[in-house]
Formats: sequence, structure tokens, C-alpha cells
Amino acid sequence: MKKDVIVSLVCLAGAIFLFYSLNWIDDERAQAFPRVVISIIGVLSLLLLVQTLALKSVKQAAAGDPFPWARFMIMFGLIVVYFAIMERIGFYLSAFLFFIAVTTLFGGAAKRATKAVSRVGLPLVFTGILYLLFSVLLKVQTPRGMLF
Amino acid sequence: MADFFLYFPQAFAPANLVALILGVFGGLILGATPGLSPTMAVALLVPFTFHMDSATGLTLLGAVYTATVAGGAISAILINIPGAPANIATLLDGYPMAKQGKSQTALYICFISSLVGGIFGMVIMILFTPPLAKIALKFGAPEMFWTAIFGITVMAGLSSGSIFKGLIGGMFGLLIATIGYSPVLGTPRFVWHDVLTGGVSIIPALIGLFAIPQVFALLETLGKDVAKVAFKPEKGVLFKTIQENLKMVKALSVGSIVGSLIGVIPGAGGQVAGLISYDQVRKMSNNPKSFGKGNPEGVAAAESANNAMVGPSLIPLLTLSVPGSPTAAVLLGGLLIHGLFPGPDLFTVHAEVTYTFIATLVLAQIVMCIFGLILSRYSYNVMRVPNLEMAAAVTILAVFGTYSVQNSFDDVIVMFSLGTLMYVGRKVGFSPAPVVLGIILGVIAEDNFLKGQLIASTDVGMFRYFFTGTINIIVISLCVLSILYSIYGEIRAYQKMKIQGERK
Repeated sequence: MKKDVIVSLVCLAGAIFLFYSLNWIDDERAQAFPRVVISIIGVLSLLLLVQTLALKSVKQAAAGDPFPWARFMIMFGLIVVYFAIMERIGFYLSAFLFFIAVTTLFGGAAKRATKAVSRVGLPLVFTGILYLLFSVLLKVQTPRGMLF
Repeated sequence: MADFFLYFPQAFAPANLVALILGVFGGLILGATPGLSPTMAVALLVPFTFHMDSATGLTLLGAVYTATVAGGAISAILINIPGAPANIATLLDGYPMAKQGKSQTALYICFISSLVGGIFGMVIMILFTPPLAKIALKFGAPEMFWTAIFGITVMAGLSSGSIFKGLIGGMFGLLIATIGYSPVLGTPRFVWHDVLTGGVSIIPALIGLFAIPQVFALLETLGKDVAKVAFKPEKGVLFKTIQENLKMVKALSVGSIVGSLIGVIPGAGGQVAGLISYDQVRKMSNNPKSFGKGNPEGVAAAESANNAMVGPSLIPLLTLSVPGSPTAAVLLGGLLIHGLFPGPDLFTVHAEVTYTFIATLVLAQIVMCIFGLILSRYSYNVMRVPNLEMAAAVTILAVFGTYSVQNSFDDVIVMFSLGTLMYVGRKVGFSPAPVVLGIILGVIAEDNFLKGQLIASTDVGMFRYFFTGTINIIVISLCVLSILYSIYGEIRAYQKMKIQGERK
């Protein structure tokens, strides 16, 4: 219930901001289509708000899982670092390191030797197949770096 | 028709058969890989066919086109990520079926329905090319605009929770489609960063909206005792599924007919065919509430439609150079590098190559079904990959698939940004399908609206141009009916909730 009220208010605020930002578009004719779309978003946000408040008595509040902030932020950070190094060290090397980083950070320390080998082996095989199939065979362009 | 049978044996030439089998097998694998769309797969292969015989090269491209559309359903069903845009509607019921332990049945339904729809589409293509091409010719700017609007009204039915959220998502997609330079006026819009200069292309948007939320969702399952969507192939399921599948006459008929009709309309593509067909079958069903919760008819409707689209999408391409789908547009490049120019000459001067190509497309449907059914038995191995490794691999494939379309790192940033936003959106009840549909239809709707506006201002005026004419009236009526039905559904849901609330 509360979540939907917030959603509708955020959508409404977004629609108002976007409507205002239409003034930054030079040609009025180019504003026409987005103006209609933004106006509809505004109306729909209001309808969602009205519906949420009207259904207050009949809609049961569903208790969802809390937002997994820690995991989300770690993965988000890893992906940002992956993007940052991709154009410096190349697609395949960065992908290999990203794969290892994800499995190590989320999977915990590898206590057994076989686990440690698979931690490195799987990313190696995965990026190796990608390299052979797409770069060698199909000549697909990827960000190039130091090694590939 | 006589010409088709005259050249049909050419499809069995050894080189063509090898190209057909490799194309279908590779296409199924590529299609099942999230982010590797049929358009991208065909585009990747076009340069390779340059050194082949024309018929063999086109056979390879046609086989890959056919198989990737069907193969995309494997990942849609097993990991809730459509392998291709055409499979967006498949996951709506395919994934819930997999979660209920019916993965094998869902996959079998998918390939059998693809065969039924695919063969229907090919028959339509062979039999009705001239009359259907004439109908497609009649779709001018206002008809295309209303067709896009009809697609948008379908969004209302695609939202699992609230119609308003579905429509807001769809409108958000339409707005995303306006980012960049206006296609008709050339004015920059919403370009708040250099990354947005080129606008938002469909492939980065599709991969981002579906793959990235899935990556974060996979991480959520770590350490939790979550029921995995895995299955062990059982004996006897195939025969039972064939019987069950062939009883779904309504879903298969609607899917095949809608797919063929949408296929012949330039630019619409398999994703629109699948979604419209799914929506229509759901509305015609006696139990519409069961859709989205694992109804096999949903899978049959979506898959028969997206494969029925393949053949007819080539009708305007082969006769008018107008592609019926984005992949057909890439296929046009394949025709041109072999010196084959669309038009009457294709069916006279180059009849042997053209009819051999069409014949191999028919064969490709059958080979695709056989390979698909065999692969289905082993596709459960996808589910054995631990979620953590799957999350890392999907992220890398998403980046790779996005980058390789235009060799643009900006696309990768757009893909990730949209994906992250969608993950948060999913948490508050938004669905990615209406957003994607909005992005696809936004370009068609605005482009044709502005073109129509320009023509109407110098001709008969806006009202007469957009609101008269048989096709306009038919499509407008469908729009109105779709909206009314959605409102009716919302009111009924509200009344049911009220009754349940009073009982408590």
C-alpha cells in the first residue's frame, strides 16, 4: 500500500520534471509526441494513486522481502569496476577477472583445492570458449586491451 | 506453387543440407544464449556466406533465423530471460511452468508449437505472397501508427499486478524511444549526456531490462533454500505433450494467424506477434487468470506466433525490399551480397535460388523441431550451473552481446543503467515487457504520426487522414476493444478483492 503510494508520487514527480524539461527541446514539433506521452504518464500516476488509496480497505499489505542492499551494492560496484578496466585490459581478461571476483566475493573462500581450481578453471574455460567462438571464428569486435 | 515443388529437391543437395543442419543447431544454441538475438546471429553470419554458393549461403542464414527464434524460448523457460526479443511472451507462462516442475512439457510445447506456426507461416508465404503483399502495401503512415497504438493498448494486459503500472511502464518505454535525435525533425531530445546521443537501441534495452535484473535476482537466491527450476527428462512426456499440444487448437490457430499477419506488416517483428497473440488467447480463454501462472496455452500462443511470423516477414522483403522484421532487414543484406535484388526477378530470373531458399526454410522448421525436442532433453544441464556462476556468466554475455552490435561502449552503459533501474522497478511491481514493447513501438508510432501529420496538413486534414479508411477503422476498433476489456478486467479484479475483503 505505502509502496504504491510512493511509486505513484515518484512517477508523478518524474512526469512533472520531464514535462518541464521539454522546454529544453528547440523545435516545438519535436516536443509534441513526448509531451503527449509524459502527460499520459502523469494521468496514470494520479490514477494509480487514487486506485491505491481507494483500495486501501480491500487490498492486503503484502510483506515483501527487504531490498538486498549489501549484495546489490557489491555487485553494482563490481560491474562498474569491470566496465572501468574493460577498455584498458581488454574484454576477455576483464571478463575473466570479473568472473573470479564475483564467485570469490559472493561464494566465500575456497577451502578445498578442487573448489579453488574450479574457481579459476570455469572462468578460464568460459572466456576461452567466448574468445575462440567469437573472436577467432566469427571475428567479432570486442574492446581490446593489453593481451587480447 | 508449381515452381516451389519443381525446386524443392534442390534443398536436399549435400551442401544445402549441411548448411541447414549446422544453421539450425547453431541457431538453437545462439538463440538460447541470453542477449544473442536472431538479428545479431544472422548479422554475424552474413559475411561468412559471401564465399558460399548463393543458395547455400541463404540456406544457412534462413536456418539460423528460424532456429534462433525458437531457441530463444529455452532460456526464457529455464532462466526467465528471453534468448531473443520474439520470446518475451514465452516467458510469461513458460517460466512459471518450469517453476512448477513442467520444464520438459513447456519446452516440448514450445518446439511443437513453433513447428505448427512455422509451417503455417511458410504455407502462407508460398500461397499468398501476391495478395498479402498488396495488403501490406496499403499500410501507410496512419495505418502503421494505429497498429503501433494497438500494440500499446496490449500493454495494459501485460502487467501482472496493476494495469496502471503496466501502462506507465509502456509509456516509459515510449519515452525512452524518443531519446536522441528526432527521426523526422533531427532535433536532439533528452540528450542529457553524450552516451544518449545515439538514442537507446532495442538490443541494449532488451538485454538490460531482462538480463541485469535477473543477475541481481540470482544473487538474492544465494544462501537461500530456493526450489530450483530443474528437471530430469522423463519418458513418455513427448507423446503426451504432442497429444495435449495438438488439442490447443485455439492457441495454435490464433498464434499462427496473428503471427502471419504481424509478420507481413513491415517492422513489427516476432516480439509484437508473440505479445499480441498471447494477449488475444488470454482474452479468449475461459480462465484468463491462469495466464501468467503457467498456462501451457500461453506458451503455445507465443511460440506458434513468433515462428509463424518468420515466413510472412519475408513476403514484403522478397517482393518490395521492405523487411517484415529487424532480422529480415539483415537478411536483405545477405540477398544483396549475392547479387539478388528483391522484386519480380527473384521469382523468374533467380527462381532456382529463391525457391531453393524457400524450400530450405520449410525444411528448417522440421529440423528445428526435431533438434529442439532432442536438445530439450539435455537443456536441463543449464539449470545445473550454480546461480553464482550463472550471474557472472550472464553479466559477461550481456556486456558482450550489447557491445558487439554496434561496437559501442555507450550501449553497454545504457544497457546496465536501464537494467539496474528495471531491477528496482521490478521490486515495486513493474514488469519489463511493457517497457520493451514501448521502446519497439515508440519509434514506429512517432515516425508514422509525424509523417502522417505532414501529409495530412497538405492533403485531407488530420481527422480524415487518421480516422477514415477501412484498415484505420478496423485497427482503431481493436484499440478501443482492447482498452475496454482491460478496464473491465480491472473492475472485476477490484470487485473480487472487495468480496474477499468483506468475507474476512
